[in-house]
Amino acid sequence: MAKSLRWAALGLGAVLAVAGCGTSGAPKVEQDAKAPLELWTRTTPGGDGEKGMKKLAAAFEAKTGQQIEVTAIFDDFETKLSQRAAQKDLPDIVMNDSSQLGTMVSQGIAREVDLSKIEGSDQLIESALTVAKAGDGKTYGVPYSAQASALLIRKDWRAKTGLPVPKTWDELTALAKAFTTQDPDGNGKNDTFGLAVPGSTKRGYASWYFSNFLWGAGGDFIAKQADGKYKPAMSTPESVAATKWFRDLACTSKVVQPGAATMDTPPTNETFEAGKTGLYVVGPYLMPRFDKSLGKDKYEVVPVPAGAKDATVLAEGGSAYLMAGSANEAGQNSWASYVISPEAQKLGMEGEKAFNVQLPVNKTVDVTSVRKDPRWKVYADVYRDSGRYAPSIPNWTPIRQATADTVNALIADCGLDVPAELTKLDGKLGEMLGQQGIAAS
Amino acid sequence: MSLKEAAPPVPPPAAPPSGARRRGSGARSGARKRSGKWWIPWLFLAPALILFVYFKFIPMAQAVSMSVQEVRPYLGNTWVGTANYVEILSSEGFRSATWNTILLAIGQTFGSMALGFGLALLVEGQTRKLTFIRSAAFLPVVVPIAVVAELWRIMYHPTSDGLLNQVIGLIGLGPSGFINDPDTSLASIAVTGIWRGAPYDMMIFLAGLAGIDRGLYEAATVDGASTKQRILHVTLPGLRPVFAILFVLAAVRGFRSFTEVFLLTNGGPNGSTEVVMTLIYKLGLEQNRLGVGSAGAVLLFVATLILTVCVQLLRKRRAV
Repeated sequence: MAKSLRWAALGLGAVLAVAGCGTSGAPKVEQDAKAPLELWTRTTPGGDGEKGMKKLAAAFEAKTGQQIEVTAIFDDFETKLSQRAAQKDLPDIVMNDSSQLGTMVSQGIAREVDLSKIEGSDQLIESALTVAKAGDGKTYGVPYSAQASALLIRKDWRAKTGLPVPKTWDELTALAKAFTTQDPDGNGKNDTFGLAVPGSTKRGYASWYFSNFLWGAGGDFIAKQADGKYKPAMSTPESVAATKWFRDLACTSKVVQPGAATMDTPPTNETFEAGKTGLYVVGPYLMPRFDKSLGKDKYEVVPVPAGAKDATVLAEGGSAYLMAGSANEAGQNSWASYVISPEAQKLGMEGEKAFNVQLPVNKTVDVTSVRKDPRWKVYADVYRDSGRYAPSIPNWTPIRQATADTVNALIADCGLDVPAELTKLDGKLGEMLGQQGIAAS
Repeated sequence: MSLKEAAPPVPPPAAPPSGARRRGSGARSGARKRSGKWWIPWLFLAPALILFVYFKFIPMAQAVSMSVQEVRPYLGNTWVGTANYVEILSSEGFRSATWNTILLAIGQTFGSMALGFGLALLVEGQTRKLTFIRSAAFLPVVVPIAVVAELWRIMYHPTSDGLLNQVIGLIGLGPSGFINDPDTSLASIAVTGIWRGAPYDMMIFLAGLAGIDRGLYEAATVDGASTKQRILHVTLPGLRPVFAILFVLAAVRGFRSFTEVFLLTNGGPNGSTEVVMTLIYKLGLEQNRLGVGSAGAVLLFVATLILTVCVQLLRKRRAV
């Protein structure tokens, strides 16, 4: 009885599934300029990010009379978006990481943006606008916030060791060593470490963190060729040198916190705020949290020291994606125009916690006009001078995942041979680039 | 996607009064004799069945159909035939994940069964105190797995002041990296799984032990059997059906290990704990390659199915 039923259900499901996949292509939707907009933002529901976005939305409603409803989702954001895509009923606007562009475009869920219809798009910082362009040269998003990585240092610890703010990688290593061996918290135990590293492979964290050092050393994950295609670049001498240096922090000088290989960002943040680690390379979004848990006076924010080449660090940001199949494209455009306007950029930066704009993407907005805290100036300068985004390729996630796997392996298993592992990684990257159709011959 | 959950818990047909052993004939004769409509049992089952169909069987069928397509939810899927299977079967990552899954399943299955059996022997009996101890021993099963993982992460702290490292330091070992060392990570996860699974097995063993005729023990004692001999010749044979059930349950559970791995190591370090489930998660939900992920899920389902059917066949052959 149970068996025959199982088969019946299987058959029924198969029929449904086959029926479901018959329809395809983006439907054309009748436009209605009054239709309320549905906006999804990737942030914790009930958290500060949601409050900040609601603040922006309210100001937008007051200004334009256009209704907009904000939904905050954090866990499995992309999965939930896929489900809505399968129902052919996407939210009108998605505020998400700029690095999601490739994925959204290859799924066909973000529509092309006509910049001439976005007021003020000529005031956008060029590098921020570049990430909104896909491999085909078309624009698929409107950046509204930017950030870059800087180095947080425990000020009181550094004062105790008497070392200067590091300007080179050697000085950084020396400081990390001092933090590890000289008992900077003075509790008589050898329980502090230098650099905090989220080295887990979850969401590709290991790779995400390492990019701050890889690029500074002149290395790269994948290198763009003259014809616009890409070649794997993790086994170049520069990349190998950067990887060796990073790996030595964990394996030779042992200044990375123990357990880094299985830590994603939450436990790593905790090591910094609990006084177990004294150096951390992160974006500005953690400052409110550390100000509260650790104290504003306990740490300082400085640019990441330059590597062999320069001080390039990872730049990231948020973009407004105008989703396909919306009944109110005019409304989408007016929201995009609004979030990049000087007015909204300033409003977005206001507040101690509930801010949504980390650094302005509008050239005419000066971060110091809103934020008097000099630490923000450090972040703004780093972003302008040394920020670099992950490349816009059809799907960056597998590349980040594969590099994270290797970086994670190297810091977890000190017996591995660095050049051999990186050569193996390059083989994998080459395959992935081939799958995405962007491999240089 | 396990068979254990996939099969709706249809109650076994009531034993016919005649004592006929065969299931089919028993059910038929029962239906003839019992008054009432044939659809009444189905009516009672309906709520569960509808839920099962909607939340289990349809998604299962969809996974099968997605495994032969390139899934693009908005643009529409395209048929790719066996390409997804070819890709996942030929990838080194899937092979090592399969191997890790098998190792973890074996380790957790036999570890939990051994520990559970030991615990069951210790807490078997009638007194009130034992009820309390049994409940206490059962606690790991009811603690949410996320809490378990976080607890063990703290216990596995890789420096010498970590909890478990202090313990093994007492006998002059360590400090071990536990989940942070590729050599010990899989074993550490297996230990967490055993810790959590053993009390569950213990309860089923206890139920089995209660079913063993006390007279056999007395007879064995009269014959001069030692404790070891009693366990070997009375308890273990008496528990044979329990072992078969537990083996299937534990093996299915082992094959599907996800949460503890995801939370403790996410497959790292160096892929040493990557199991099929975490790989499927990464492929499907992180990299958005749902087709390839579904192919992996279908393969896992088939493996579980084969295992379960084999155990059932073995059991039947023994029973006859």
